[in-house]
Amino acid sequence: MITLQSSDKDVFEIEQSILIQSGTIKNMVEDDFTFIPLPSVDTETLIKIIEYMKKHADKTDSKEKNIKEFDKDFMKKTLNELFALVFAANYLHISSLLELLYPSIADRIKDKITEAIRQIFSIRCDFTPEEERRIIMDNKWAHEGTEIEGTLD
Amino acid sequence: MCFGVETRVDFVLWLDSDVSLNILMCLNDPADVACDGAVSHLWLRFGFGTLILSRGLRVGCAMETHIDFVQWLKTDVSLDIMSRLNDPADVVRAGAVSRLWRQFVVTNRLSKQLCVGRFQQLSRILRITEPDLNAPEPKDVGSSNSNWEYLKREHEVYASLLQAIESSKSCQNDCIGYAVSASSTDYPDESIVNTLIPMDKYLNSPSYWSSKGHSDRNAPETLIYKLKADLCVITEVCMKPFEAYFQPGKPIYSAKSVRFRLGHRKSLREESDLLKMPQQQPADDKFMWTYTSEEFPMTQEKCLQRFKLPEPVVCVGGYLQILLLGRVQRQEMDDLFYICISHVRVVGLPLGSTFDVKVLEPSQEFVLNYNRDVFGCTLQSFSNRGHQDSNVAPTLSEELVVDAGIMEFFLQNHHPGFELMGWGDDDDDDEEMEEVGIL
Repeated sequence: MITLQSSDKDVFEIEQSILIQSGTIKNMVEDDFTFIPLPSVDTETLIKIIEYMKKHADKTDSKEKNIKEFDKDFMKKTLNELFALVFAANYLHISSLLELLYPSIADRIKDKITEAIRQIFSIRCDFTPEEERRIIMDNKWAHEGTEIEGTLD
Repeated sequence: MCFGVETRVDFVLWLDSDVSLNILMCLNDPADVACDGAVSHLWLRFGFGTLILSRGLRVGCAMETHIDFVQWLKTDVSLDIMSRLNDPADVVRAGAVSRLWRQFVVTNRLSKQLCVGRFQQLSRILRITEPDLNAPEPKDVGSSNSNWEYLKREHEVYASLLQAIESSKSCQNDCIGYAVSASSTDYPDESIVNTLIPMDKYLNSPSYWSSKGHSDRNAPETLIYKLKADLCVITEVCMKPFEAYFQPGKPIYSAKSVRFRLGHRKSLREESDLLKMPQQQPADDKFMWTYTSEEFPMTQEKCLQRFKLPEPVVCVGGYLQILLLGRVQRQEMDDLFYICISHVRVVGLPLGSTFDVKVLEPSQEFVLNYNRDVFGCTLQSFSNRGHQDSNVAPTLSEELVVDAGIMEFFLQNHHPGFELMGWGDDDDDDEEMEEVGIL
């Protein structure tokens, strides 16, 4: 069993076989660490990461469909939660989770007009009106005919 | 570390990230977190970015705002996310969000990556030009400003090109320009030019191309055509084998199978030569083929057979080669195998008015010229044309009684320099012409 400690100082005891899905943890285990502090992962995110790894530890064929369903539901999180997961998965080198996260986040940008993207990410438009007009005119076709779609996260 | 004077150390710079993190983790006030993130780029990016992000996200969660990931995540992570956008419109819209996003999208050449990733044939495009601009290539840049200008243009053009290609899927235009050559031709009036005409009879004479006879049934033939534009998206090729209705048994001289290639001519110098060259001579060595399709079996039927490419393909350079593989029909008279085709049609979308292409020698790479003003109109017409049915070549229809004048005009347009040969001195009815050879 390996002990993980989140940035909030909460500890979790997990089986080694599950944790080796994380490249980072795997390396530390190979160096005989049994207590692994993770100062850049908070408790909430770590709980989710552990949940993911537990589900994916058992990759037999019969569970394949089950896992796909789980993944789909797992991605139904707020953008901030997804970013926190990207961040943690990147640090922990869990490539299968990253491969799941990237398209999910990209999906939140797809088919949205520029203004909607700004709203989602609370980005202030720093173009002058003239600049913005010119940018839109340069590729006018891309800015036409779309509505703000879906709910803002 | 040793300091003569007591100076304070930027501990984020000097200590291990983990240690710095542990120190900074003690910050509990979100305001502190935000302020410290603004201290310097180093504090922002190196390790401290980690903390900012995780704390910032929790702060953000509490305040229900979302972070600008392009700003906060490492470039390669943001790239991993952005590269999942597979619609050129999304890439363009992302590039209009803010200065930071614009810089990210443009300098990382997302639009080019998307376009070339989808259509490998476009990877040979060396640079983009516009007719009224003389921008330098990115490599021989004096100022970073001209490099930015080039990258911006590249961003727009590739997105537009991809959009044009995607829109073409619903277009069913005929892309053949004119006939260039056939690997062999039996009699002069059995020229490849006849394949441009949908009917297999014209002015009471049969209209088809015939290869020379061969005793080996595996002897292949090739037909080469110039397409309507230097840049074309091709979705399918249609061919109609010829039924020799005047021979006993009405044999159909189809090929066993066909394969298609798309490419460009090797040398600029030879353009005018190609127009003058006798179509009966093979010209395969004058071209470089950058795409080769799978082999499609042909049936021995005198109908227009459609060979749909698995994915639309971009032809850069404007030339199509049809490889006719294997012969199935012997001619009774001489016991030799022939291939005869009465009609060839290439379906897709010519992008000629908006994009044209110049081949660079000797590298065989391309310069893509973009006509910005035309593009807007072109896109509009795509959406209008979307529902058009498959069309025969523009001036002909099944019911039309074609007279020599119109035919000559048609052939002149498709093959400059062609002169209508002296067929059809007979008194036969026009009706007979309508009966036979209708698609």
